[in-house]
Amino acid sequence: MSCSGSGADPEAAPASAASAPGPAPPVSAPAALPSSTAAENKIPDAVTGYYLNRAGFEASDPRIIRLISLAAQKFISDIANDALQHCKMKGTASGSSRSKSKDRKYTLTMEDLTPALSEYGINVKKPHYFT
Amino acid sequence: MADAAATAGAGGSGTRSGSKQSTNPADNYHLARRRTLQVVVSSLLTEAGFESAEKASVETLTEMLQSYISEIGRSAKSYCEHTARTQPTLSDIVVTLVEMGFNVDTLPAYAKRSQRMVITAPPVTNQPVTPKALTAGQNRPHPPHIPSHFPEFPDPHTYIKTPTYREPVSDYQVLREKAASQRRDVERALTRFMAKTGETQSLFKDDVSTFPLIAARPFTIPYLTALLPSELEMQQMEETDSSEQDEQTDTENLALHISMEDSGAEKENTSVLQQNPSLSGSRNGEENIIDNPYLRPVKKPKIRRKKHGILLCCPGWS
Repeated sequence: MSCSGSGADPEAAPASAASAPGPAPPVSAPAALPSSTAAENKIPDAVTGYYLNRAGFEASDPRIIRLISLAAQKFISDIANDALQHCKMKGTASGSSRSKSKDRKYTLTMEDLTPALSEYGINVKKPHYFT
Repeated sequence: MADAAATAGAGGSGTRSGSKQSTNPADNYHLARRRTLQVVVSSLLTEAGFESAEKASVETLTEMLQSYISEIGRSAKSYCEHTARTQPTLSDIVVTLVEMGFNVDTLPAYAKRSQRMVITAPPVTNQPVTPKALTAGQNRPHPPHIPSHFPEFPDPHTYIKTPTYREPVSDYQVLREKAASQRRDVERALTRFMAKTGETQSLFKDDVSTFPLIAARPFTIPYLTALLPSELEMQQMEETDSSEQDEQTDTENLALHISMEDSGAEKENTSVLQQNPSLSGSRNGEENIIDNPYLRPVKKPKIRRKKHGILLCCPGWS
């Protein structure tokens, strides 16, 4: 059941969990539970609940659904931030001035996304054109 | 696993975008939620700082998001069942996230950070609002055998027909006028019809057609109408005594035959003679029916070859 092809990050997380004192892993998520309200999550409860139901996960507590949607949001936003870093690195590496429009307009392209995802262990290969 | 998911998602989304033209209701069910995820991904990218994005990358991220949620659900369910439970708990999810390589410690910080940030994505609430301006009247409530999530009944004016008609005019004066004018029109029309179809006389020598008068038909016996009883009287007399009718008509028939053969007179005279005994018979008592041969009840004649055998029906012919 282990996630195949995971990078360095996932190996560090279980290690930290295992090294925690006591049989229970340090669960810091309860701190996130009461604070996450329905209005903050971008993903509606219904949509998350729909996908969870398709997987066989019937949630008894709506806060669990919000927690999952929050985790998924963070997942995507982390990838987006990494892609932004790549985009900025490519922009400033060519030596263009910072006041240019390149600072304001960042376009997410597959060239930025692919290396960002590869750090997570996700290899994407999209065809450049569709036949 | 995530690797395979991403590549499979890439191919899947490619084929899906090609076949998007044919959407049946089953596909719409999935596409609606996928669209929501796309909006979410787009808002997250905007929050990160991107102005625009390639469609392929948005599709990739959407597919990843969907797979991620599904995977969390599947894995949490498996963990939960692994410990002989059916209801997933928080710890199941935490373990799932940990196993998937998610740093759970950063989650509260991320939640607080999103509190501070402006939520750029508007809450995706698609509520099809039926315009209330066009409703008229109260809709019928659901009968108990219909669940509440079914659509409501339509407006009552769509299936209930209440015929409307104007109140008839009941003003006495107006009605009287109407009756009078109708009567006058009817009389006029009828007389004109009779003038056009029957014989006419005219007052003026030269002008025949302008004021036609209905020609009077003089009766041969003017006092006949006074003698003959009207239809109404005949009916009343018949109703009063129907049982004695047969006997009396038989006797009166014999009397008539005798009187007719004796006189041998013209048609009118015989009819007059017939009237006299019948009238006398009627004066005897009210129960005696006036024996007008033309108004007698129909007796089917015995079919006799001889001519005078049929005299019961038309005694005036010899």
